Amino acid sequence: MNNQPLLELKEVTAGYGKMVVLENISIKISQGDVVTLLGSNGVGKSTTLKTILGQTNIKKGEIVYKGRDITNLKTYDIAALGMSYCPEGRQIFGNLTTKENLISGAYLVKGKKQLKENLEKVYSLFPILKNRENQLSASLSGGEQEMLAMARALMGSPDLLLLDEPSLGLAPKLVELIAEIIKNINETGVSILLIEQNAKLALDISNYGYLMRKGAIAFEGTSEELVKTEKVKEIYFGIG
Amino acid sequence: MDYFIQQFLTSLGYGSTLAVLAAGYTMTFGIIGLVNFAHGEVLMVGAFAAYFVIQIAMLPFWAGVLAAVAGSVIIALLIERVAFKPVRGVGMITLFITSLGASTVIKNLTVLVFNDRLKPFPSPKFLEGSYQIGNIFIYKKIAFIVLITILICILLVLLVKKTKIGIAMRSISYNINIAQTLGINTEMVIIIVFMISATLAGISGIFWGILFGSVQASMGAIPVVYAFIASILGGVGNVLGAIIGGYIIAVGSSLLVAYLPVDLVGLKPLFAWVIFFSILIIKPSGLFKANIK
Repeated sequence: MNNQPLLELKEVTAGYGKMVVLENISIKISQGDVVTLLGSNGVGKSTTLKTILGQTNIKKGEIVYKGRDITNLKTYDIAALGMSYCPEGRQIFGNLTTKENLISGAYLVKGKKQLKENLEKVYSLFPILKNRENQLSASLSGGEQEMLAMARALMGSPDLLLLDEPSLGLAPKLVELIAEIIKNINETGVSILLIEQNAKLALDISNYGYLMRKGAIAFEGTSEELVKTEKVKEIYFGIG
Repeated sequence: MDYFIQQFLTSLGYGSTLAVLAAGYTMTFGIIGLVNFAHGEVLMVGAFAAYFVIQIAMLPFWAGVLAAVAGSVIIALLIERVAFKPVRGVGMITLFITSLGASTVIKNLTVLVFNDRLKPFPSPKFLEGSYQIGNIFIYKKIAFIVLITILICILLVLLVKKTKIGIAMRSISYNINIAQTLGINTEMVIIIVFMISATLAGISGIFWGILFGSVQASMGAIPVVYAFIASILGGVGNVLGAIIGGYIIAVGSSLLVAYLPVDLVGLKPLFAWVIFFSILIIKPSGLFKANIK
């Protein structure tokens, strides 16, 4: 097993245009990890994911993925290195069918055979999507759209999956199901960087976490440590 | 009845010209929200390139076609770099204004250098004449143009629905950032769309030259507006819709004027505008599925 982390952010300061949102962020994700970013709204969690993907203005620091400096790479080149994104609010292509959405996720996949294999794989993870194969994705329910967004992100067989608020707006039963699915995905070898408002869910399925506050990392530790500490409760609810 | 059929068949010539122009127009409209006022000048530059090659340089017709496509693509890429790329993402209105600027500059420069008089555009000999069925004449020029348009239509629909780049185009039109995270090289796809759109405009310019026997510097000004209306009519981003929209405008306005007294012939453009405002009021998303968020 490689000692080198899969993804590392080294003292990254970033934002949009002239505005700075993230200050001196350092994060490490090792192969096989499920790492979670916690913190209240507006603290920079989504911006962190977008920064990793090359969609923000990085002013200081470096991002290293699989040993490569990806700080100045374009988003589509970063995706080609085996990184996928499942954004907040699903953001599936409503004007395409379920299957077309999945095929768009396999844009970088070479060969019809591999495409078919990957399609089978995601259908086994999300059987309901097979039933909705030719349906316009805008007409799917919230839970189905979330599954579609996750399935689309898996079509390219990524090594690292960036998941932004998968449980947002979903009923508790669905949240349980999604949690199971995320664990299954991790077990197939995909490392995950997760943002979750639902702190309990996040700490249940992850092994390490970073608590963010005002664009910086306030606290970090294993999920066991985070669950026990007062600091998490304090900073999470903005007290102290 | 014969009169109706004759008018209908003849109007398919201009219909094809508009259809092909609109198909290219709707592609850039759909993918980056560009209402391209300069698309008419792309047509014009293509037509002029063909004119110079065929009429002035006396080269064969197919060389003129190549020149038209080359001319249109070059001018379109130039316009994209200068007028569109720097302001992409700022908003549709800004893109429209810069396209207006590009159109004005190119059109007036052409008028300055080459004047706005009609220049003869020779058609190949094999297109002269017509087939006669009863009292109806099927002009070879028009039959040729319609056949080419049908071929183009089939190719475009296959491109958009069945190819990887078609999926890329539709993904970008819906959400460009997400498309990038899927590994789609959005820069490259957008350039390709501009090139396809320009090629279609160049072909439309050739059709115009064949149909009307002439080209002029300001020839793009009116068709571009009809291309816009056809795109809205067909659903923004929908190439088949735009092609059908182009035919509806040309055939509809021809038939309208065919049954009006001669002195009301000036009302011809009214048809397109009535259709335009009707669609906006009744079904703004267009007759068919729009390809845009």
